[in-house]
Amino acid sequence: MIIITGASRGLGKAISERLEKKGEEVIGLARSLSDLSIEGIECDVSDHASVKNAYREVKRLKKPLKAFINAAGVASMNMAVTTDESTVQKLIQTNLVGTIYCCQLFAPIMLRQKQGSFINFSTIAVSLALKGESVYAASKAGVESFSRTFSREMADFNVRVNCIAPGPIETDLLRGITDAQIKKIISQQVIPKQFQKSDVCDLVELLIDSRASSLSGQVLNIGGV
Amino acid sequence: MNKEQAKEAVIDIITKVLEEAEIKDEIVVTEEMHLIGGESLLDSMNLVGVCLALEDLADDHGFEFDWTSEVAMSKTRSMFRSVGSLSEEFASQSEA
Repeated sequence: MIIITGASRGLGKAISERLEKKGEEVIGLARSLSDLSIEGIECDVSDHASVKNAYREVKRLKKPLKAFINAAGVASMNMAVTTDESTVQKLIQTNLVGTIYCCQLFAPIMLRQKQGSFINFSTIAVSLALKGESVYAASKAGVESFSRTFSREMADFNVRVNCIAPGPIETDLLRGITDAQIKKIISQQVIPKQFQKSDVCDLVELLIDSRASSLSGQVLNIGGV
Repeated sequence: MNKEQAKEAVIDIITKVLEEAEIKDEIVVTEEMHLIGGESLLDSMNLVGVCLALEDLADDHGFEFDWTSEVAMSKTRSMFRSVGSLSEEFASQSEA
């Protein structure tokens, strides 16, 4: 069984559909089940009690958890000085705290089975320090830092933790970014081309595969930085 | 589960974890034994093992053992300070 947060749209949806197509049993966590195309559990990752309830439901299934993918995320492209308080809180609460909640609450399933893989999501905005994305980048830098340290805590239990940092992939999160800005970001990647959702799905498949058993605590930048 | 039963269960689980980890032969687990800090025989990995085993035991007894809750952790002194305090918390959660 593989669990994906934010499975109702964007990268989370693409990943869940890809994995299901590959024959994996996928359970999506989303705030609204009506938007889900796969089996799902209602969950708001920014709410500890909601994540805990989702954990209880999953635990009741008594099935091995192969991977947990934290794809839920929100973005707001603004300079810090023009970002209001509630947006700051929402970005940190969903992107960073939500990822931490899911990792800490679902980890016991993997600790018990001494196997499993967490995949968290960062962004190219962290390594490139993209102007106008300071709060968003801060939330994702937290995810990177958490993932690297969490990977060490999980390593004794044969549980791997990695982070994928995509560049500008076409999803709702790109709303408000102009084509010129996207081109500028892409030009700073090692491979200066715009990658697609399918490229992210490929990397997810690679990371959950047993052949990636040597990879943990890594931040994989799509396109390279 | 009363305090005495909880203490028995906790000691049994810690003994098994210590044996499996081959930390020390013929160790006698007492109520006063520290679970965290410099005097603890358990490292963090073993302590997690104890918590997972207690979670399983709680499942068998029809209650949820929450070892990460604010209520359990925010007391002036952690429930992990000794075998006795962990037993008390386990018993308390079984009755909640």
